[in-house]
Amino acid sequence: MSRQANRGTESKKMSSELFTLTYGALVTQLCKDYENDEDVNKQLDKMGYNIGVRLIEDFLARSNVGRCHDFRETADVIAKVAFKMYLGITPSITNWSPAGDEFSLILENNPLVDFVELPDNHSSLIYSNLLCGVLRGALEMVQMAVEAKFVQDTLKGDSVTEIRMRFIRRIEDNLPAGEE
Amino acid sequence: MAVCIMVIVKENYPFYVRSIPVENELKFHSVVHTSLDLVDEKISAMGKALVDQRGLCPGLLYPTEDYKVYGYVTNSKVKFVTLVDSSNTAHRDNEICSMFWKLHNSYTDVTCNPFPNPGDRIRPRVFDNMVTSLMTQVC
Repeated sequence: MSRQANRGTESKKMSSELFTLTYGALVTQLCKDYENDEDVNKQLDKMGYNIGVRLIEDFLARSNVGRCHDFRETADVIAKVAFKMYLGITPSITNWSPAGDEFSLILENNPLVDFVELPDNHSSLIYSNLLCGVLRGALEMVQMAVEAKFVQDTLKGDSVTEIRMRFIRRIEDNLPAGEE
Repeated sequence: MAVCIMVIVKENYPFYVRSIPVENELKFHSVVHTSLDLVDEKISAMGKALVDQRGLCPGLLYPTEDYKVYGYVTNSKVKFVTLVDSSNTAHRDNEICSMFWKLHNSYTDVTCNPFPNPGDRIRPRVFDNMVTSLMTQVC
């Protein structure tokens, strides 16, 4: 009897305020440490990447989804399963590019930014950039190189938050030299 | 119509002031300042008897010739004081208290903003909008 079966049903509920405040404290501390919005954005992306490469294991264990056959399936899984599982929201998928390699995730409300108002001296800060890093890191572990970036943000006055995801290429496993 | 709303923090300085018309702000400052003593007096008089889970609402502090002053204290010793036009019909305590509860909820949301340092006097947009809607609504 594997204990792994329990992971799928267990979902510890906790107050989102602590989560939101923790993320806020993280971002403000980074702002104080780096003093430059671009550096903060890069750090958030790096941190998100590190979270993503680990989170994917937890996600695959808990959700039992199989391998995705194309990018559209991937998009569906990200929006309907992953976001729902970790943030409790279900973004919608829109704006597919004609080639089918780019799409937008529209988040009506972003739990990371509850109560947050960006001050004027941080106008180029991408507050939720951690999410882009997470998506990038997680997908890299399943052999997909993607690019994620925010194109609309409620903190900057837009009505919704939009993340644009672009498929770059499939990552082939690199065979060690000497093996064919 | 409420003519002035002030939020006074624990250290007894105003964190947020909003008044219509803006010219009389200084006068309102002095009125609110004197009413702070009354708030403390009423709270100590009420004691533990009427502690509401959301905050103490002593209600009407005192009427002057032009305005009525209402007060409200939270558990964290943040005081909200409102000046309302005397010419309006008397407001029921419930209405005033519910207005203060809304203010309190908005205030807690504002304090959750991670960017400003505590004690910074900022004008958060969401709070501003909420105060505007309350001020025009209380008629």
